[in-house]
Amino acid sequence: MVRVDEMVTVSVNPKGEPIGFGWRGGAYLVLSKPVRWFARREWWVEAARVQRGIGAGVLEVEMWRLVASCNEEKQQFELVHSFVGEKTIWRLNRVFN
Amino acid sequence: MSEFTHLHVASAFSSHFGVTRPELMVEAAAAQKMTALAITDRDGLYGAVKHIGACLALGISPIVGVELSVVDDEYQQLARVVVLARGRDRGIGWSTLCAIVSAAHGYNIGEALSENSKKLQRTRKSESISIRRGELAKLIGESLGACTVLLGNDTDVGKSVLLGSREEAIELLEPWQELFSIPNALAIEVCSLLTEPGTEYSILQANRMLQLADASKLPAVLTNSVRYLTPDDALTADVLDAARFLEPLGFFQVQPNAQAWLKPAALMRSLAEEICEDRDRAAKLLQDTEKLADRCRLDPVGDCGWMKPKTPEKSALGIEGNPFEVLWQKTEAGMHWRYPGASEAMLSKIKHRLGQELITINKLEFATYFLTVADVAQMIRDMNIRIAARGSGAGSLVNYLLGISGVDPIEHDLLFERFLSTERSSLPDIDIDIESARRHDIYRSIFRRYGSNRVTLLSMQSTYRGRGAVRDSGLALGIEDDEIDAIAKSVWRLSAGSFRNAVGSKPELGAIAAALESDRKMNLLVDLTERLNRLPRHISMHPCGVILGDSNLLRMTPVEQSGMGLPMSQFDKDDMDPMGMLKLDVLGVRMQSAMAYAVREISRVRGETLELDDIDRADNETFKTIRTTNTLGIFQIESPGQRELTGKHQPTEFNDLTIQISLFRPGPMKGNMIAPYLDGRHGFASADFIHKDLEPILRESFGVVIFHEHVLRILNVMTGCTLAKADELRRSLEDPRAKPTIEKFFRTKTKERGYSLAVVERVWGILEGFSSFGFCKAHGAAFALPTYQSAWLKTHYPVEFMAGLFTHDPGMYPKRLLMAEARRLGVRILPIDVNKSSDEFLVEKTTDGLAVRLAIHEIAGISEAEVSRILSGRPFSDIGDFYMRAKPSRRTFERIAQVGGLDELRLGDFGPMHTRGDVLARVRQLNASKNRKYLDPNQPTFDFDFKDLPTGLPEPSNAEKVEAELQILNLDFTEHALEQYRPMLDEMGVMRSDELVDLRSKTDVLVAGIRVATQTPPMRSGKRVVFVSLDDGSGCSDSTFFDEAQKRCSHILFNTKLLLISGKTRRTGVRGVSIMAENAWDLRELWQQWLQKKEAV
Repeated sequence: MVRVDEMVTVSVNPKGEPIGFGWRGGAYLVLSKPVRWFARREWWVEAARVQRGIGAGVLEVEMWRLVASCNEEKQQFELVHSFVGEKTIWRLNRVFN
Repeated sequence: MSEFTHLHVASAFSSHFGVTRPELMVEAAAAQKMTALAITDRDGLYGAVKHIGACLALGISPIVGVELSVVDDEYQQLARVVVLARGRDRGIGWSTLCAIVSAAHGYNIGEALSENSKKLQRTRKSESISIRRGELAKLIGESLGACTVLLGNDTDVGKSVLLGSREEAIELLEPWQELFSIPNALAIEVCSLLTEPGTEYSILQANRMLQLADASKLPAVLTNSVRYLTPDDALTADVLDAARFLEPLGFFQVQPNAQAWLKPAALMRSLAEEICEDRDRAAKLLQDTEKLADRCRLDPVGDCGWMKPKTPEKSALGIEGNPFEVLWQKTEAGMHWRYPGASEAMLSKIKHRLGQELITINKLEFATYFLTVADVAQMIRDMNIRIAARGSGAGSLVNYLLGISGVDPIEHDLLFERFLSTERSSLPDIDIDIESARRHDIYRSIFRRYGSNRVTLLSMQSTYRGRGAVRDSGLALGIEDDEIDAIAKSVWRLSAGSFRNAVGSKPELGAIAAALESDRKMNLLVDLTERLNRLPRHISMHPCGVILGDSNLLRMTPVEQSGMGLPMSQFDKDDMDPMGMLKLDVLGVRMQSAMAYAVREISRVRGETLELDDIDRADNETFKTIRTTNTLGIFQIESPGQRELTGKHQPTEFNDLTIQISLFRPGPMKGNMIAPYLDGRHGFASADFIHKDLEPILRESFGVVIFHEHVLRILNVMTGCTLAKADELRRSLEDPRAKPTIEKFFRTKTKERGYSLAVVERVWGILEGFSSFGFCKAHGAAFALPTYQSAWLKTHYPVEFMAGLFTHDPGMYPKRLLMAEARRLGVRILPIDVNKSSDEFLVEKTTDGLAVRLAIHEIAGISEAEVSRILSGRPFSDIGDFYMRAKPSRRTFERIAQVGGLDELRLGDFGPMHTRGDVLARVRQLNASKNRKYLDPNQPTFDFDFKDLPTGLPEPSNAEKVEAELQILNLDFTEHALEQYRPMLDEMGVMRSDELVDLRSKTDVLVAGIRVATQTPPMRSGKRVVFVSLDDGSGCSDSTFFDEAQKRCSHILFNTKLLLISGKTRRTGVRGVSIMAENAWDLRELWQQWLQKKEAV
């Protein structure tokens, strides 16, 4: 397992599931049904404001675990999808061999 | 099928857990077209009645349950489960649920549903709120399955499922299945919060629970274990968790994510599919959820007796026959008691009024209710405890004749219709004031008299306000205690909901405003504080509510232990009407205790019997006392604002007190009623009655509409409607939506009756604006009685009255201000003397007349045991004797000596005159010896060594004495605390407050003193004004700080004790003068500077 934590560009299907992403110049295609869950953020160490209505994005992130490949080699990836206001950010969190 | 019903929902009444008020939750469910919604608060039915009410209002079905901790027979935690009540079964489900909740709180209401479940037994073994599994099964078994238990993730079964041991899970499920074998008693709760695969509340866990249900042939239902309405609310839940665990965020296991919200049906459906991995199974899961929901839909009327009055049975009241006839006879008898020797004309007036009231009471079938309250009132009087009515109930002649109220409604022109009418059917409130010191005795007597199956205390939910919200937010963020303390202290009477706005506009929050610029945590603190605003915080005993019902009461409400040990309902006062419960307001009023004490001391010391309720209510001397504005210690009119108003108003009769008490309220102040009334009264302006028909109604108030009763009479006269109808109209005026209808009615009727358009316009203008301003005259009159009685006692028996005030501390001012008032009145206060002081402030006969002796328990830190050893050991012959037999702690011993409590022992039989310094030296000697030498009781107590006082030490100076007194007694006894600053004050030309009354308006003055009150009353302009009252020994000065002045001295405005204030005098009436403050300083700081300057010279 390798920790990465880099921005990636992700394309999703209408249900919001990732179908492919670009990372370090490579285009990765998702090969499995991705597994989704929601994890926490420690907003009390990160956030500038937590006023009512700011949205749950301060507190939680959407996590995706999926199998994808760029060329031949299949690998398992963990993507983090976070929501800050209107913006959404995708990061590649970990890569499993 | 598109239906989904949430069966597991915690509301904000799950304290320190739930985030959303039930009403909001129901509103959201209804908006999403859900047809039912459950509430399952943790450990109780705290939000249930509000939930049911909201569901009824929005036309969806209420479902009620509870989330409880279940333990095994060894009280080891097994699970947290949801228990849902079956509905539409004539209340069996509801009452079983109540019994289960009460049992979890240690109250076993006996054989749950049998007729003779009489006894309350405390069965709690551990401190935590939980129910044994066997007990839960028994209660549900006895009800033949009227409740359903949901086993979910937080159970032994759920945990083992997660560990992957299917056999173990099945094994753990077996005892549940055996114990809850009745159909519908048990179901599996399937729930996923979409957490990381393999962890608690993951899809995996939900899926395995589902499989387990199928393998065990148990129904499975889907929930979302809801604890907030929207994902955004999860942030608030984090803070509540921190408050529950008493740990900052990051120091405990936080909730996994923000998924526990009230998800719409569509999301729940896709969740079901994700869990089941099978469309058909998912459909069945949803179907079974609806099936259980349907079973649990409550019929509020049939199940909970919604709105149906529940009063004690006749037998419990000791009456036979028709309650109405009994009431009739009792009031007839009361007529001879209350109106002895009344004229024929008067009697016929009384009888007519009585007849009308009785007809209404009979129509509403409330006779039992009145008899109940009368019975309680009689019981209280039989206990020889003072009692007075409060509120609109004083408007009822029946209440007067039954002895519930002490104000004659005919004499004071009070209206019954304001209190009760056939237009309304909820039980009226009759509020009773009693001596505060006897409140618990009365509660216990009520339990004894009516049986603990018919009585329970009322609870109340305190909610987060400014300071509490700041503290808990600070705790969650891990901000240091000192820092939070400082911030919390500066948050003064502030709604937490507008914290950020307040920071920008209030000068004393300047430091916080500056921090917001740069400090991230401070920003979070402000945001979180706003989030917590008004959320329920904890439940406690209501200060005055007792619920009185029939023998079914404990099947209608769950109970838990109150602070005083008696059981209390989990419902609050707003729940009483909907539940049809009779709430008696028995409020402990310290003034009643103080007056009762004074009366007892008068009898003890003088041998005079005084019937306070029978005194002449037109005593000139009493009104003279009031008019001096030295009203400290007089009920209701001692606050700075009331003192100022007293100066302007100059009351001369009882009705004036009623008016004055009613005028000094937020409503009349906002409605600008005070100035026109005073102008009329003092002849500055002639009263304008608008129309001659209104003159008789408004004569007492010089044309100003003050009372609800005024509005009722105006509507009655001008539209010809009944007074009962008039009260309905008055109530509806408060509802903006109803206003147009009432306006139309008013205009049509008045036109028909020939009033001119100009008159109608003006009167409507007043009525329209009145709704939020007016006050109930009956309430004012009921309050005026103890006001008058206390003023009377202060006038005629000042020593005994002051002793009562000291003992029961009824007012808003500290004891040291009472001390100053005693000094002003010439009431002598005697120092603490271990041979004479008791645990009350006794009146003592001395050669110089009567005086008040300070009580021994005023010594800071003295224990109950020490007090009782001193009281039982008296008299003490010398200091050694006191040391040996009273066995004071070292600290108490020294403190008693410091304030002169041993001074009378210093002479002994021998020796020269010793100083208090010598006494202290002796005390310190004794304290220094390591082992206390105890006397053998069989030996003669003559021990020369102990009597041998040191000599030659100096007497402490007055300043030293005062300092010790302030520290130890919180009183300045030797002299006023301001005296030590006198040289500086004289040099600066500081005025004494009793000199102010002789000054012209707009004179520049300096005043000094100890802060005794700080108030920010509501103002018409909406701007904040701060009133500060200072006591300087000659009386009180009242200063007003407007915006500019507040800014100049913001750092000391709220917290500094000793102040110097500069400003201009402002005359407000014959005896009224206040100061428009310009600036204020900390007196101690000035003193240090002054001393330094002196030294330098």
